[in-house]
Amino acid sequence: MAEKKKNPKTLLKVLGFVKRYLFFIFLSMLLAAASVAGTLYIPIVIGEAIDFIVGEGQVNFAAITPLLIRAAVVAGATALCQWLMSVINNRVVFHVVRDIRNTAFDRIQELPLSFLDRNPVGDIVSRVIADADQFADGLLMGFTQLFTGVMTIAGTLVFMLSINPWITLVVVVLTPVSLFVAKFIAKRTYNMFKLQSETRGEQTAFIDEMIGNQKVVKAFGREDEAIEKFDEINLRLEKAYLSATFFSSLVNPSTRFVNSLVYAGVGLTGAIAAISGGLSVGALSCFLSYANQYTKPFNEISGVITELQNALACAGRVFELIEEPAQVSDEGNKVLGGTDGDVSLHDVCFSYVPEKKLIENFNLTVTPGQRVAIVGPTGCGKTTVINLLMRFYDVTSGKICVEGEDIRELTRESLRSSYGMVLQETWLRSGTIRDNITMGKPDATDEEVIAASKAAHAHSFIKRLPDGYNTVIGEDGGSLSQGQKQLLCIARIMLCLPPMLILDEATSSIDTRTEIKIQDAFAKLMKGRTSFIVAHRLSTIRDADIILVMKDGNIIEQGNHTELLNKGGFYANLYNSQFAV
Amino acid sequence: MRKLLKHLTDNYLKETILAPLFKMLEAILELLVPLVVAAIIDTGIGSGDTGYVVKMALLLAAFGIVGLGFAVTAQYFSAKAAAGFARSVNGALFRKIQEFSYAQLDKTGTSTLITRMTGDLNQVQSGVNLTLRLLLRSPFVVFGAMIMAFTIDFDMALIFAGAIPVLALVVFGVMFVTIPLYNKVRGGLDTVLRTTRENLTGVRVIRAFHKEQDEIQYFSGENQSLTRQQKKVGRIAALMNPLTFVIINLAIILLINNGAVRVEAGILTQGAVVALYNYMSQILVELIKLANLIINITKSIACGRRIEKVLETEAMQKDGIEKNGFEGYLYAVEFRKASLRYPDAAENALSDIDFTAERGSTVGIIGGTGSGKSSLVNMIGRFYDAEEGEVFVDGLNVRDYEIEALRSKIGIVPQKAVLFKGTIRENMKWGNENATDEEIFKALELAQAKEIVEKKDGGLDHMIEQGGKNLSGGQRQRFTIARALVKKPEILILDDSASALDYATDAALRKSLKTLENTTVFIVSQRTSSIQHADKIVVLDDGEVAGIGTHDELLQSCEVYKEIHNSQFKKESDGKEGVNNG
Repeated sequence: MAEKKKNPKTLLKVLGFVKRYLFFIFLSMLLAAASVAGTLYIPIVIGEAIDFIVGEGQVNFAAITPLLIRAAVVAGATALCQWLMSVINNRVVFHVVRDIRNTAFDRIQELPLSFLDRNPVGDIVSRVIADADQFADGLLMGFTQLFTGVMTIAGTLVFMLSINPWITLVVVVLTPVSLFVAKFIAKRTYNMFKLQSETRGEQTAFIDEMIGNQKVVKAFGREDEAIEKFDEINLRLEKAYLSATFFSSLVNPSTRFVNSLVYAGVGLTGAIAAISGGLSVGALSCFLSYANQYTKPFNEISGVITELQNALACAGRVFELIEEPAQVSDEGNKVLGGTDGDVSLHDVCFSYVPEKKLIENFNLTVTPGQRVAIVGPTGCGKTTVINLLMRFYDVTSGKICVEGEDIRELTRESLRSSYGMVLQETWLRSGTIRDNITMGKPDATDEEVIAASKAAHAHSFIKRLPDGYNTVIGEDGGSLSQGQKQLLCIARIMLCLPPMLILDEATSSIDTRTEIKIQDAFAKLMKGRTSFIVAHRLSTIRDADIILVMKDGNIIEQGNHTELLNKGGFYANLYNSQFAV
Repeated sequence: MRKLLKHLTDNYLKETILAPLFKMLEAILELLVPLVVAAIIDTGIGSGDTGYVVKMALLLAAFGIVGLGFAVTAQYFSAKAAAGFARSVNGALFRKIQEFSYAQLDKTGTSTLITRMTGDLNQVQSGVNLTLRLLLRSPFVVFGAMIMAFTIDFDMALIFAGAIPVLALVVFGVMFVTIPLYNKVRGGLDTVLRTTRENLTGVRVIRAFHKEQDEIQYFSGENQSLTRQQKKVGRIAALMNPLTFVIINLAIILLINNGAVRVEAGILTQGAVVALYNYMSQILVELIKLANLIINITKSIACGRRIEKVLETEAMQKDGIEKNGFEGYLYAVEFRKASLRYPDAAENALSDIDFTAERGSTVGIIGGTGSGKSSLVNMIGRFYDAEEGEVFVDGLNVRDYEIEALRSKIGIVPQKAVLFKGTIRENMKWGNENATDEEIFKALELAQAKEIVEKKDGGLDHMIEQGGKNLSGGQRQRFTIARALVKKPEILILDDSASALDYATDAALRKSLKTLENTTVFIVSQRTSSIQHADKIVVLDDGEVAGIGTHDELLQSCEVYKEIHNSQFKKESDGKEGVNNG
């Protein structure tokens, strides 16, 4: 995904998702206001009560009791408000994130393959999962703490002013000092953190490379060299961690120090005011408790703001994904009725990047029932042809027709369901073996599933699995071997019997003896159906009706096996080299 | 945990003791604050002594400064201990993993090892840092506040003694209920992550089967259940603050009420009531800190256990002492009824392997997927040990060799062509640290890789990215072959390492390997064309030897070999092949 400029509209987009829950947010704010008011009111009540406890024989019980009852009721109500507010905030945040995730996932289903091929899977996954999660955390923290924090500061100020403006002034002047201190330290430690995370990244990369390939390290006896290099990085990381952690951990004691100065200041001015009779002892104790409460949200808010900025940045990354243009809609296109496998390509040109032409003026006519094989060295564009046939990519110019219809005028669903596709890179989803086989035909009966598996020579190994067809396999096939995974993918196709077939190195990981047997099954299956086969092993394509020999994106030879051998060109060379010594 | 903590106590004992100690000193100062405030109220305000008030306020400020000093000292020691601890553990982990045998690596899996060295260790490190700083402080403040309350007034302090257990019950109760629920949320998140991943890696298949709508429904179901779990745990976790708030305030009300009675009776002063009130507030703050700390520590302990498991793994292989076998012994490699079984496997991976490889000969190993070809060649360098039977190199049992000496004789080209970040020269020198450019080029030439280097900017100084990402599969494979040849090994093992080469390059490679004299070559392959000219071919079928002999002999005698061969040369066996052999 291209690095985009930070979008100031991210906040607006977030609000777009939040809009649905406006009522709840309003409710949450009301509750926050109520709970802050309650939290601030209780010290006043307690302070008043303390004022009635002057000394021996000077206690006014009649005044104290109602005050204490009032404090208890307020405390209960405040706690209830706090809890309800948290529950509502949870609800809003988790629902917003759920909605964003769903939207992002919907978009993934519609994004063009060109986008998905270009961007690493890990990157997109981290947007949908980690970024959305970070966003949720930040938003939740923002909701709960930012609003209550601001309310607390404002409320405290009002309450303090109403009691004694001079002491309030002491608090207001001294408190921001702790913010400055925190900011000052954060600025100084930024570079240390950067160094730490860079060194940590370097170490992780090194671990990844060495431990990930531990067998090679051992095979070449490079253990000592690896340890030496690791120790060197490790030592640097220790130093970087020490300075980053130590200096950043100064924030806490420093702000606490400032707070204690504020506390001492309030104590001093308050006591002097009390001596001169301008302040009661209860009011002083109330002030001291406020002095603590007033400084705390300042520290929290600075944290919350960084967190919120981070959350917005994360949201921005998710929105980038959501806003990627979708593939061209096929709404209103014709539905491909049935096909016998009549496919033709007219002057097809295609390239992944405009500067680098790949396929040029490609013409081909395939009549129903023909077997088309595509061969050539790695990277010559064999798989590209498949991408175009399935319309994973659209041609740059020219057209591809099925039953005489330009495939861009057909619905993707009807086009793709007329092909059965097996790729070299097998893909299985976590779930049971049966789920995986019945992917193209969810209502298949047990008999059909077993018959298809037998045809794919997968039945015998499935039978031996702990739960047979109901064995649950992990992500990407879990413990199955590459060959077994390919057999399952083949069984999947054998079950739904599409009119056309695409095999892209479909048997590359299956040993040649089994491969022959599967090919016989395919041969039976494909009688009268059109098939496209990409293969590395030339032995597997000898019987094809048309062999396309590709090199650097061009079709350099075309014909059947005998014709091409007699021609003595590239194919003949390629073919003969496998017997040379 | 003891083994892990040894890394802390052995090297950083001073820091480990001093960090919490200074934290405690800081806490003591904090506990003194309410007493000073009480003195201000009772003595200062009571007698209207402004000078006394100023003195006490200065004392409070002094407490702040000294407290800052204590805190900074504590932070320094704890950061130092945590930094050193992590370095020490990580070094130990890395060394331990270097000792792992292939079998142990297979069993553990490298990705878990990597997580343990990175994610787990970071968690433990921050756990150590936090623990040193806070674990002693918070309980100290809580109990300290209670003790201070006792020094003020015994009966009033009983309210503290009653409130603290109730508070602890709430804080820890909520924690213990939510921890398993949080784990469930993590699990839900993993499921959502897996589905997203699967949809990206399988996008072609999903679209080919037009499953997009089904997937959207499936995902939104999982997403919904994640949201439900999150809300559930959120509702319970949200109880902690309101409940502690209520309890503390009730305790304060009780405090004021009883305090009023005792002040009336002349047992207590007004200032003392304010001091008690302050102590109660301090307890609340510390308990919440403590709860967060304990969550962090529980996580750290779980991660620490995972790390410790790695450290506790015993090295499986015992080293021998011999550096050399019998020079001039006829057979470079001998398998004598050797069997191999992987840990926890039900059946042998290889059974009764028995054959010899003469010095300087070429041995082909062939068989289907999973027939045990790679396992067999990995036994030569003792990457796996035989369960039964023996493997000999130069007439000496591999178990009697010093492992390093044994492996220095062997050059391996693994199935997966792995190169490392660094220049081409650095990669080649993995084979031999002292190799000259001339020797490297010789090896590259043999491996059909010389022209690749010549075409690259900087030649041997060309940078290879991690994993060799900037090279094609075929290029990587040829480089890994060259790397093994730089070693000038006595035994060269090509483990299905020509699969990404086209037939012409494969043939040229085999021709150039023929020129290596005195090197015994093992070629593992699925293609008969790659091994048909070997001096000896071992045919494996499901872990057992199905036949041994030359290509022609096996075509006559070995059914499995014949089938493999025919599957690759169908309909050609009637003579054409001979023609093409030219």
